[in-house]
Amino acid sequence: MAELVDSMLDLMRRLPPTRTEENVNALITICPDYADDLLGSVDQPLQLKTDRATGRDYLACDYNRDGESYRSPWSNDYDPPLEDGTVPTPKLRKLEIMANEAFDTYREMYYEGGVSSVYLWDLEDGGFAGVVLFKKTMSPSSNQEPSGSWDSIHVFESVERGRQAHYKLTSTIMLQLTTRQASQEGGENEKKSSAMGAGSNNGKYKDISFNRQGEVTLSGSMTRQQEQDWPIHDPSSHITNTGRMIEEMEIKMRNSLQEVYFGKTRDIVYDLRSVDDLEKARRQRELQKELVGFIKR
Amino acid sequence: MELSERIQISSGFLLQAPPGEINDVLNDVRCIINNDEELQAGVQPALREYNLEQFITVESPGNNHQCIISEAARLPASDDESEERFIDPRAKTSFIFDHLALEASDPQPHELDAESEPLRSALDNATQTYLTAHFHDGVASIFSKGNGVREFIIQVVANKYNPSNYWSGRWRSEYTISFDEGKVTGKILVHVHYYEQGNVQLTTAHDVSFNLPPGITFSDSSAASKILALVEDEESKYQISLNETYQEMSEKTFKSLRRALPLTRSKIDWDKILGYKLGAELSGSKEGHVASS
Repeated sequence: MAELVDSMLDLMRRLPPTRTEENVNALITICPDYADDLLGSVDQPLQLKTDRATGRDYLACDYNRDGESYRSPWSNDYDPPLEDGTVPTPKLRKLEIMANEAFDTYREMYYEGGVSSVYLWDLEDGGFAGVVLFKKTMSPSSNQEPSGSWDSIHVFESVERGRQAHYKLTSTIMLQLTTRQASQEGGENEKKSSAMGAGSNNGKYKDISFNRQGEVTLSGSMTRQQEQDWPIHDPSSHITNTGRMIEEMEIKMRNSLQEVYFGKTRDIVYDLRSVDDLEKARRQRELQKELVGFIKR
Repeated sequence: MELSERIQISSGFLLQAPPGEINDVLNDVRCIINNDEELQAGVQPALREYNLEQFITVESPGNNHQCIISEAARLPASDDESEERFIDPRAKTSFIFDHLALEASDPQPHELDAESEPLRSALDNATQTYLTAHFHDGVASIFSKGNGVREFIIQVVANKYNPSNYWSGRWRSEYTISFDEGKVTGKILVHVHYYEQGNVQLTTAHDVSFNLPPGITFSDSSAASKILALVEDEESKYQISLNETYQEMSEKTFKSLRRALPLTRSKIDWDKILGYKLGAELSGSKEGHVASS
């Protein structure tokens, strides 16, 4: 029933990104047979876990899950512990350790905080695949401070062809930003607080006092794909290759996110309502036309 | 799981539909539930709730203008048998509304409260003027409580649906003007959906309340234009403050989540990042993951 899965995915592309987890769970309740399809194709915010052995934080998603347990990239242990949990072959684990260290440095340089995790697994037809995860959350210290979260999920497949490797990268970034504001303006005391354009009408309404509060949320996700060939000198080449691809992809996607979040959605608000008086502009245009006609005569 | 239960859960999806996408969401739900007959009856309450909450607009039957479907437009049922009716105060008409087809039918003349009608219709005219000045596609309905209660509700909605460019947007605002309490309470709600290769949504809520100044009274002939001047000022101020919020989110929140480039202002030197320690360890040993010979 590919059609059913398509409908579920279309639905998830329309419903509010802030409620993805809740809606995925609701869909699984309605169609339990399709739980795996849904969990495998709908990206959800990454969960933060702490490695019991090392005390380091790591990220949990469908790719490091086995049953109800999640594997830590730092200790390679499952939590809750699993006797026979799937782990990479020793060779691949070696590369995984190195990749985790490299992308952790990358994380520090670009995110200056947050958490990263890399998981690798062998593919049946040779080659291997992996997922590189980053998450950073800004939690407000007060109700009025902005909050936000960034989740990056980069899934790749690598197939070697002689001294080259072919990489297929699918990247998803989930970004949420929230700002809350409250203010009082006007009235006898002319008491004001910082937000919501207070003060722009200084003294205009001496006999009116305003109470305002509001919330603005920008949330969503964006997915992009890319395929590239890179040379392989030694196993570590896979890290430099995927590193460059992921860095390039994140730079591109960060630009697109900036454009859509702060450009496109804002433009649409202005397509709904204009701050300037449209009627005045209309009359001005007509007057101009008349004047041009007058001069021509 | 019972079909009714599955329909009940699906109703929750309908209520979350972005502007102009209720039919797309309904089509997805149809495919998921796979029982059109039961679904059509089962989702009626959700569709009705969605339409009322979202200020869905409809062509007022027999009139050349649009009006708003909302709780304020709903007529209290005269008896249990009759179908629910909505009013278009501007045309002094009531009608039956089909929540699935989004069509009005059976128009009938509707008498409005005589005492408050002069101010209601003045507010209506002033709101229409305000709409032409600031909205590209705005619709408004103005209701009076009547029966001795000096209260009015102004509702405004503006929609833009652009599915071929993957976006849609809705601006809703509502102001309750109570002369008995000398107070105006309002709210502005904006919802924007941008879904080209993704799903990005802007949702905003703004609540405002202020006292009616002594200069604005129920019997004052210029009360309507004075109230609309306050509404205009508030909404323009809000839109400008929204701009400032955008700027702050872009320059502060967004930047502190992830930098555009590292502090060094250049991209990462991946060979260096791997470090001599790790690099030496791996290239020194022949048993790497890749045998590239």
